Amino acid sequence: MLPLNYAILKLFEDGSEYDVCGVIDQLKDKYRKFRAFKPAGINESLMSAEQNGLLDAVRYELDGNNELHVFYKANEYGGGMIRDYIK
Amino acid sequence: MNENSQLLQAKNARISGFFKKGVLIALISGALYGVYSACLLAATGSGEWVGWYGGWYVAGDSATINGIAMSFLIAVLILGALGSGINDLVSAIWMVGKAAVKGKFKDYLRCLGSKPGIVMVICALIGGPVASIAYLIALTMAGPIATPISALCPAIGAIIGRLLFKQNLNLRMVVGILICIAATFMIGSTAFAGTELNVQFLIGLAIALISALGWGIEGAIAGFGTSVMDYEIAISIRQATSGIVALFIVTPALFLIAGHLGLYPSMLIDAFKGPFIDPDTSLLASPLVFFLISGLAAGMSFGFWYKGNSMCGAALGMACNGTFSFWVPFFSFLVCGLYLGWGYVDGSLSVASGYVLAPIQWLAAVVMVVGIFLIAINPLDLFKKKEA
Repeated sequence: MLPLNYAILKLFEDGSEYDVCGVIDQLKDKYRKFRAFKPAGINESLMSAEQNGLLDAVRYELDGNNELHVFYKANEYGGGMIRDYIK
Repeated sequence: MNENSQLLQAKNARISGFFKKGVLIALISGALYGVYSACLLAATGSGEWVGWYGGWYVAGDSATINGIAMSFLIAVLILGALGSGINDLVSAIWMVGKAAVKGKFKDYLRCLGSKPGIVMVICALIGGPVASIAYLIALTMAGPIATPISALCPAIGAIIGRLLFKQNLNLRMVVGILICIAATFMIGSTAFAGTELNVQFLIGLAIALISALGWGIEGAIAGFGTSVMDYEIAISIRQATSGIVALFIVTPALFLIAGHLGLYPSMLIDAFKGPFIDPDTSLLASPLVFFLISGLAAGMSFGFWYKGNSMCGAALGMACNGTFSFWVPFFSFLVCGLYLGWGYVDGSLSVASGYVLAPIQWLAAVVMVVGIFLIAINPLDLFKKKEA
């Protein structure tokens, strides 16, 4: 089993696009018992990856509650880094 | 407000909020570094340590610890490695405990064997024992100028961040970093008087650069590493590696070089000894208590350093952390100068004691804020916003 942060980034290595809710949906079966498996923590992981050039924010949506949903995708550099570095 | 402008506002708030949080975290890391250094200084100035340092006589290149003569440099390294090794190990216990309480202990073990985990261990070795020992040697050979030289690490970290991770580094940021370095020299300038320029001094400067390089590499690479790894797990790996290697490999090796390996176990135990309450001053002054505080502050400081770097980039994160150049003398003044009374000479606070801040050090703190501000924000943008 991968550490939670690795598992979050690994979701993006095949070019898929997710927001925080999408990440939670994908990982909830394996990681729902993790105390760190919370939207705020996952959001911070995604934004750190964005700040360090691994992921790009490619799409923004406002939901009915005016909550912002940011959809991320790995760029070429990030995808390569996630594939080669996280094993 | 239409949907598009609401979306734009939410997007901007998201980015600036994350960036501001990163800057705040990196600034707190600098202040916590001051707490850690001051408490480590207090720990290694209490209990048995008083005798170990106080028992020194310097005649040429020799010193004594526990009545045993050895070279001055080896004595400096033994006590330095022992103190920082204990601090880092205590810190590792705090940090692993914190990670465990937050349910991250299994992830900590999983990360240890992974590629990013191994990189973090290498960073810990470079930034822990290698840079710390280089710094101690530099201090011994070149004197206090080693401190501002080693504080060049933000500049080195920014360059590494730019080269390896394509992080932003423009002329304005370079000027800001140079201002921060100038401020660090101002803080260290009070101790430059009487410095003699000779070969030993120049070698000392070169070795101080090794420590700057070590911390620069650690800040940039480990900072990037926390974009992949949880920062609380990263710092647990860092402190455990640094503490174990410094305390159980480097320190006994130094005792062996000095020809007194038998002294190692007893000094390791004695390092914590000392009354909780000083009988003369009635103050809490036990090495154990000071090590507990320094270890906690060190773990939080390094953890925030990594996290801040990953949130706002190595250049700005390391410049914010570099405020430790001010916070170390500031908290040393509070803990050692005021609380323990080391700053008093003949009943009054004395700048000459080295535990009271001189006016130039306060001025340097303001200069440093200007430097950090310049790295973080383009001043022209403020005028543009006003005009808008």
